Amino acid sequence: MNNKFDALKDDDSGDHDQDQGSQKDCEKEKNDNDEDNDQNIAKKIAVPGVGEHPLQYNYSFWYSRRTPGRPASTQSYESNIKQIGSFASVEQFWRFYSHMIRPGDLTGHSDFHLFKEGIKPMWEDDANKLGGKWIIRLRKGLASRCWENLILAMLGEQFMVGEEICGAVVSVRFQEDIISIWNKTASDQATITRIRDTLRRVLNLPPNTIMEYKTHTDSIKAWEDFHGLVNAVGGR
Amino acid sequence: MLWEPDSWGAGRCWVPNDKQSDKNPNKLRMTTNAQQAKSCPIPTRVLTLKDWSQLPDCYSQTPGGTLFSTTPGGTRIIYDRKFLLDCRNSPIARTPPCCLPQIPGVTVPALHPLGKLQELKEELEEEEEKDLADDSQFEMDI
Repeated sequence: MNNKFDALKDDDSGDHDQDQGSQKDCEKEKNDNDEDNDQNIAKKIAVPGVGEHPLQYNYSFWYSRRTPGRPASTQSYESNIKQIGSFASVEQFWRFYSHMIRPGDLTGHSDFHLFKEGIKPMWEDDANKLGGKWIIRLRKGLASRCWENLILAMLGEQFMVGEEICGAVVSVRFQEDIISIWNKTASDQATITRIRDTLRRVLNLPPNTIMEYKTHTDSIKAWEDFHGLVNAVGGR
Repeated sequence: MLWEPDSWGAGRCWVPNDKQSDKNPNKLRMTTNAQQAKSCPIPTRVLTLKDWSQLPDCYSQTPGGTLFSTTPGGTRIIYDRKFLLDCRNSPIARTPPCCLPQIPGVTVPALHPLGKLQELKEELEEEEEKDLADDSQFEMDI
């Protein structure tokens, strides 16, 4: 599998899978019954604890991994997105982050996603449908530091683009790593420019690092072309 | 307009620096005959920003580094990188989150943090060797 399609490879980071994995929720009450599990999980949201520093938004960490070499088919797409947990404060963020492997140490074809609560890290989510992402390709060895700086900037509201930010992704691939930040409105030039400028300021990227903006609709088309046409029922 | 000590170094004097004020000095001058206390100007630094991207990393208005400001869309909670990193060391931030899913090679339970990390490192090293030829399904608890 070569070269011509290399540029498209990272686009499966947002691919959606039927089976998203259950939502592990730290706020479950101790006397949960199995029957009301689903309802409780759906309704509970994270809140900052006493003495903690609240964030402007709640966020959730997700993880996905694909077994390389297996062809992606419409029925048995290997990508498996699993939610790791949600947080509402700076301290809660660190509790998760400190207990997760750094992206530079992940193996295989893996991704971490950090998205605002209520937004799934997938193109199809309402918040992402009309959106796009800045992507930055990094040589090996830089992902951990850049990911950390990116998410600290996002959590700390450094982008200054109102509600536009949806989330961030770090994708570990064979010979490179990719970080990206997703926003809601791909057609909003001012927002996209401001995000780019903030990325330059907060990431300390090596000189000549290329930043590229892609709309999700373009990514979807590229994915479909790469994997062949969608099947008769429109699934992937 | 400048805020500066008057020539006696006493009290507070608002001294306009434009010439028009000379026409009506009484109106514009305020002096008090208070104690002969030394005063000095509040140190300030003025930055002209042409773009948000020029906002310095250290910009903050409250101790601890948080900036509460009005931005389009209302007041936002903003933290700079340094402040967020400083929060990492607090005890609240160190305990493991409840319900952290156990994903080998991804999440690190805190039972024996260093020991577990070592174990994981060894597993990862083994895995890397056979990664390319590895055919086995990645098991995830869902």
